[in-house]
Amino acid sequence: MLVVDNHGMGKPNDMVQGTLDLLILKTISAEPRHGWAIAKRIQQISGEVLQVQQGSLYPALHRLEQRAWIKAKWKETETGRQAKFYSLTAAGRAQLEKEAENWSRLSAAINLVVETT
Amino acid sequence: MVWARQLWLCLQTLFRRGHVAQRLDDEIQFHLEQQIAENMAAGMNREEARHAAMRTFGNPTFLKEETRDTWGWTWLEQFVGDIRYGSRMLRRSPGFTAVAVVTLALGIGANTVIFSAVYAALMLPIPFKDVDRLVFVMKNNPPRGWIRNNISPTEVISWREESGAFEDLAAFSGASCVVTGSGEPEEDPCEVASSNLFPVLGVRPFLGRTFSAEEDKANAPKAAILSYGFWRRHFGADEGVIGRAIVVNGLVHTIAGVMPASFSHLYATPFGALPEMWVSGIALPRQDSDNDCWGVGRLKPGISVKQAEAQMDVVSARIEQESSDLHGWRAQLLSFRENISGDTLPALLVLMGAVILVLLIACANMANLLLARGATRAGEFATRTALGASRSRMVAQLMTESLMLSLTGGLLGVLLATWGCKGMAALAPKYLLNSAPGLANGAADARVLAFSLAIVLTTTFLFGLAPALQSSSSELTESLKETGRGGAQTRSSRHFRNALVVCQIALAVILLAGAGLMVRTLSTLSRVDSGFSARNVLTMGVPLSGEQYKQPQTVVDFWQRVIAGVKALPGVESASVSRDLPVDGWAGQFFTTAENPNPPAGQVPDANYLVAGPDYFQTLQIPLKRGRSFNELDTQTSERVVIVNEELARKYWPGEDPLGKQLRPGSPGSDRPWLTVVGVATNVRSQGPELPFQAEIYVPLEQFPWMLRPQNLLVRTSNGIRPESVARAVVDQVHLVDAGQPAVDVKTMETVAAEPLMQQRMVMALLVSFAGLALGLSTLGVYSVVFYAVARRTKEMGIRMALGAQPKSLLRLIIGTGLRPVVVGIVAGMVGALMLTRLMTDLLFGVKPNDPTTFVVVSVLLVVTSVLACYLPARRASKVDPMVALRYE
Repeated sequence: MLVVDNHGMGKPNDMVQGTLDLLILKTISAEPRHGWAIAKRIQQISGEVLQVQQGSLYPALHRLEQRAWIKAKWKETETGRQAKFYSLTAAGRAQLEKEAENWSRLSAAINLVVETT
Repeated sequence: MVWARQLWLCLQTLFRRGHVAQRLDDEIQFHLEQQIAENMAAGMNREEARHAAMRTFGNPTFLKEETRDTWGWTWLEQFVGDIRYGSRMLRRSPGFTAVAVVTLALGIGANTVIFSAVYAALMLPIPFKDVDRLVFVMKNNPPRGWIRNNISPTEVISWREESGAFEDLAAFSGASCVVTGSGEPEEDPCEVASSNLFPVLGVRPFLGRTFSAEEDKANAPKAAILSYGFWRRHFGADEGVIGRAIVVNGLVHTIAGVMPASFSHLYATPFGALPEMWVSGIALPRQDSDNDCWGVGRLKPGISVKQAEAQMDVVSARIEQESSDLHGWRAQLLSFRENISGDTLPALLVLMGAVILVLLIACANMANLLLARGATRAGEFATRTALGASRSRMVAQLMTESLMLSLTGGLLGVLLATWGCKGMAALAPKYLLNSAPGLANGAADARVLAFSLAIVLTTTFLFGLAPALQSSSSELTESLKETGRGGAQTRSSRHFRNALVVCQIALAVILLAGAGLMVRTLSTLSRVDSGFSARNVLTMGVPLSGEQYKQPQTVVDFWQRVIAGVKALPGVESASVSRDLPVDGWAGQFFTTAENPNPPAGQVPDANYLVAGPDYFQTLQIPLKRGRSFNELDTQTSERVVIVNEELARKYWPGEDPLGKQLRPGSPGSDRPWLTVVGVATNVRSQGPELPFQAEIYVPLEQFPWMLRPQNLLVRTSNGIRPESVARAVVDQVHLVDAGQPAVDVKTMETVAAEPLMQQRMVMALLVSFAGLALGLSTLGVYSVVFYAVARRTKEMGIRMALGAQPKSLLRLIIGTGLRPVVVGIVAGMVGALMLTRLMTDLLFGVKPNDPTTFVVVSVLLVVTSVLACYLPARRASKVDPMVALRYE
């Protein structure tokens, strides 16, 4: 189980941070989502395996926004409340492709190592 | 457009922080509410749902903080916070703040003053093309020990044409230009310059042209080039002056050009005056071996000063065969930079060293103050540590406070420096002002300000870092326990503070020793018997100009009438005229004696020639050892007479009676008449008090009026009458005889006599003030350390007294402990001073750099002030009531 959890002390290490970025980028690639929806989506898709500590999404979201990989817009939800919706920018889409490719290469390599033994 | 989006966000987070933060709150609030809603939908009650939502979310405050960190402005936010907090802390202890700011202001101000002088003299760019190849050309005579002499036209031409060292070599001679014809006659320093001077320097005129080669000839029509200042003053910056006529020294000159405002005199010797005008017609006849020029040369590329001198010496060795006047002379070149800074360099370096020491003492004091303050704030730091502040944050906070102190101090220091620079300019010798015209501007220069800022930042680290590290490292539990007891003083911090005192005292010893040596130098110099009395004597220059004064008899008549008129003034005791004044001016010339009319070349006697009117000796109160003074009977038709000084008589007629001996001015075989010695005058320190006596020859004005140029009027007033008070009346007498002659440089002889000492006087005044500052600061340092230690030991004192210790023995204990670092500092300082004062040997006179008296006085002074600094807090402690002391804390 991969726990993407930042316990509130110290910064996540590069690998974990990179992974969280990838998850976020992927999650909003189809349609704009707000923070809570992103957390829910990651949990659901991964079959509850990835337990993202919900709050740690926000520093990551803001960091990605600073890098101009994602953009944000305040919109009304179906329930009529104001929420901040994140969506990919062109740069973000390129980044997603790059990171996704890196990830498949990495996981394939790890699989190879693990299964050959 | 990635960068545009990034920039936009960056600016948003900087300038709309409140708004952005509010939006973040909203965002997280929305998230939590969504989660709560979901949890409630799953069947929890509201309270449970909220708790569960918070659990899955994490600590919102911390996460918000971490999010804000991604915005990238945290450092600024913290810095602003630190400044707010720091200014609150500093306002809360105004005494500490004031002492700290003033300490730093004095240290930084002193550095700014001296640095601006160093900058003006040593680093200011010299505004000439390829200045590295420009040299100032003089000559020296090693066998005779003469240096930095004028050169002759023969040498200018021979060196230029034969040495192969120069691209070109120009010449000029200093002169005095009296401008008449428009309003008041005015005398200005000027230069007779060869036409290639301006091309050699690579300077173009602002208006008009420079001289043509044709105009160098003696009989060519005269041309003049004006300085920018002269042009503004006299012609109201009228651009139509070119081609107009101006009367200079009685001759019509055509105005050829105006030099730009930035054109500087920096090619000339710093002892020369700033020229207001350049006139043509230097002529430079090849056969003329009189030394009346200076040279300015542009070396060929790749030729060094040493190489050039060697090549020129080959030429000198040849031409000295042709003229005995040139015997023994060799080239002496000075690069422009060296020429400008040379004479002031040692003084400036000593002063720069001194102010750096002052700054170090100020830093040590600051560190001491901050340590003491850090100890009293230990509780505050401990609390902050307990609340999670990291050590680096606390160091940053303390460094911010230090930076605020040093910036404030620096600002005040720079303001003080503008005053300081004016003061220094007032003390500075004339030639320093000439070579460093920017001196009085103070910190006005951007580079000087940059230096001050650099000093501020450096000092902040010097004094701030150690206390910040020390204070932030205090043991948490220890400090919390100690809170309310005035803070902890660990062994290491006590050692550190004592080490600071040792350094301060050592540095103060060095400064005080330097200042003491200068005081001794000046007092020795001022006790030197100059051989004449400057008291009650007024001097002024009257440079006679105009066609009529080309007749020697007119000059004599003019002076006889002026002197008669001045003598008749109430309050005037006597008056006379002379070419040079003692201390100011030197006119060396060869002579031969009747006993040895043909000395071999290189051994021709020389002496300073003074042309003097009757009553010269009486006016300056120079006693005559033998014979008589000049009088009205020494005229054109009477026997040619001369008065020599003791030194000349001793050298050339040892053991004989000089009266009646004969000597003849000029080189051997000169066609001038023989002069008979009629008197022997006491030796006068005519080159300043620190230089040895020179052979001197006085000749009477009436027999040698053509030699009288420039002319100085000397007036002695009666006792009790200030010489300045008759100045107006004396000038009126001059104008009564000829209204067309200006009277310039009106000053007292005492001022004239003090001029050679001005550099030493300036160095002394500055060193004494720096040493005073050092003494004050280090005494304050000792005081604060003892005061603090005593405050910490109040309870111990109480116990000792309760056990029967006498106040006296307590006093002894405290003073003894306090003095220990002082004594170590004095010893260390002595060692340092012995090494460093050697560097100021050039500035000293009559005292050795390791003068024991000075060192003893300095040590005693420091011990006395330190005992006082220990005594005040010690007395307070010994007066404490034991009961109060025991209950203290």
